[in-house]
Amino acid sequence: MGEDVAAVRSELRQLIDDHVPPDYFGAFTDDPADLAVAQSFCRTLAERGLLCVAWPEEWGGKGASAWVQTAVREEMWAHHEPRGAQYMGVNWVGPTIMRHGTPEQQRTHLPPIARGEVIWCQGFSEPNSGSDLASVQTAARRDGDGWFISGQKIWTSYATMAQWCFLLTRTSRGDKKQQGLTIFLVPMSDPAIEVRPIASMVGPHHLNEVFFDEVWVTEADVLGPVDEGWQVVQEVLAFERVGIARYARCERLLGLAPAVVGDQWEALPEELRARWAESLTHCRRARLLAYRVVGMQQSGRVRPGDVAAYRIAVTRLDQHSAEVLTEITGLAVLEGTEAQRFKRAVAEHWRYAQASTVASGSIEVQRMLLARALLSA
Amino acid sequence: MITELSEEAIEYGLTVRKVLESAGGDRLAQTAEAEPDRREELVAPILAELGAWDLDPRSGADEAEAAAALCRSAGYWAVAYPVAERLGRPRDVEADGLLVVNPDVPAAPVADLPLRWVAVDLDGRRSMAVPRAGTARGRRDAFVSALELEPLDDRGADDVSLGLVLPCWTLLGMLDRALELTRNHVLERRQFGQPLATFQGVQFQLTDGEVERVGLEELAKYALWSIESGDPAALNDALALRAAALQAAEIVFRVAHQLHGAIGFCDETALSWVSRASVPLRRLPFGMSATRAKLTRSMGRMALPGLFNVDPSGSSAR
Repeated sequence: MGEDVAAVRSELRQLIDDHVPPDYFGAFTDDPADLAVAQSFCRTLAERGLLCVAWPEEWGGKGASAWVQTAVREEMWAHHEPRGAQYMGVNWVGPTIMRHGTPEQQRTHLPPIARGEVIWCQGFSEPNSGSDLASVQTAARRDGDGWFISGQKIWTSYATMAQWCFLLTRTSRGDKKQQGLTIFLVPMSDPAIEVRPIASMVGPHHLNEVFFDEVWVTEADVLGPVDEGWQVVQEVLAFERVGIARYARCERLLGLAPAVVGDQWEALPEELRARWAESLTHCRRARLLAYRVVGMQQSGRVRPGDVAAYRIAVTRLDQHSAEVLTEITGLAVLEGTEAQRFKRAVAEHWRYAQASTVASGSIEVQRMLLARALLSA
Repeated sequence: MITELSEEAIEYGLTVRKVLESAGGDRLAQTAEAEPDRREELVAPILAELGAWDLDPRSGADEAEAAAALCRSAGYWAVAYPVAERLGRPRDVEADGLLVVNPDVPAAPVADLPLRWVAVDLDGRRSMAVPRAGTARGRRDAFVSALELEPLDDRGADDVSLGLVLPCWTLLGMLDRALELTRNHVLERRQFGQPLATFQGVQFQLTDGEVERVGLEELAKYALWSIESGDPAALNDALALRAAALQAAEIVFRVAHQLHGAIGFCDETALSWVSRASVPLRRLPFGMSATRAKLTRSMGRMALPGLFNVDPSGSSAR
């Protein structure tokens, strides 16, 4: 890891202390002040070159190592992701545009992401295409020098606040469903797009339906080759799967628990404290599996099975730790601002954790990928 | 922190594995069971030629990693010989090996061997340990013998972590083998007109085992590094590793036996031998619940070292 990692970690913790209020538990609440905190914090990070720290300098980054980028992910997720939805632009939308975008697309999209000014949403899942993503039906129909897009996306996080959508569409039908898919970069301000929020237990702004009714786009909005979008999607999913350092929040909250509970700690059932210790061991395990993937990515050796094993371990950890922490906060008498804040943090962690084995590729898909890797090797 | 063993250690481990295969592979364990008096001569001279008994895992990362790789390869072939225990021998006492024991019921898989043992408990109390004659029979007890303890001193605290960690590397080698055998079995065995491997229920069980195996490998490297770096939390790291190793072993062997079906219990399959050989490592000095309880008590209010080392006496709870 090295000194640069420790320095970035320390700088980030100081910035969080200085700029993120202690009652911030994520940008996606009913309180608009939370979103404002995230937007402001992104600009603060951008001014210091920390928002896109691993990007090339040409695009506003510092060209930092994957290990520094990992430390940023850990610190952000551990502190309730004060970048809000912008982590998506930083982690995978930007890198994908760097790799597949035209010079014009790069000039249009990369600077605003690097400055912390833009939110992206991901138009992937549809009512009939969840884990079976390649079966999407939202259609882009060629018409003259552009396309008309019609269809419906669902479970689209941040769609109500996003300025742009990274949209997966069907442009033709090939022998395989993975053929004939194309990515478009679509402005969410288009009046032919309608967003309907879905009330849910994971909180406001997380789940939305997005309807596209003859949205007009041009050649300039196509990302990568027409009909060959599936390869781009595979890269996106690989970025995304390793992207969220879920273990970091688990570890931070588990580590805080004894201090918050104080003298009541030893009065908790020994079995519960043993589960706490087990959960911390699983935090370490997930973190080391993440580092294994990062190390392999650096040397170009990473395989889908390695990422899948990490994802299975980290999402199970997320749910296990959430149960343990919830039981701890339920048994201890928690009085005072700090303790109540901790209880709220645990409650938010539990809510998010319920979706961790579903979001970004379900755990079943991860098991299929791992099984394929094991049995074909 | 080490995320990979050195190339030299990996190469050494592979060499050990090949040499043990040439020396009989699975037959080593079978011969030891049939002729318990030959346990020593079946394995020790081979490993001596490979420099195993010259390794000092306390001398630095190079030899610690080589020792770990050696234990893993010995586990792969389930050799009926206490390789990890010999590698952990104390520096300051004339002895051939170190056994971490439960002082209430001291026991170890060291029957029928002409070796001198030092036993240490989790509190660092050391004893000379002698297998009690007639308390072990190979097939039933996997060479586990009760031990007579002759108290020595209480200077063994620094040895406990290594004495816990190296056997976890042996167990890891057994999990490597159990999953490899299972993978091959489900690819070859056909039921309902197709290989077992085509059934998702089978695939998902295999992935459960694999996640445990790769996770254990990472924790084992961490615990080795923790000892080598002189981390005061090394004992907690070792206990955490052992607890995770026992859980991994339970899951992997359950999956391996389930997917092998009845044939997996038969001595004509290697799984039957590896599975039985894993039992002493999983039960001694403590099984899962006792290991977890000792870890929990040892940690107290202090989380394992990691990204956030919180002072348990105060906090900022955001």
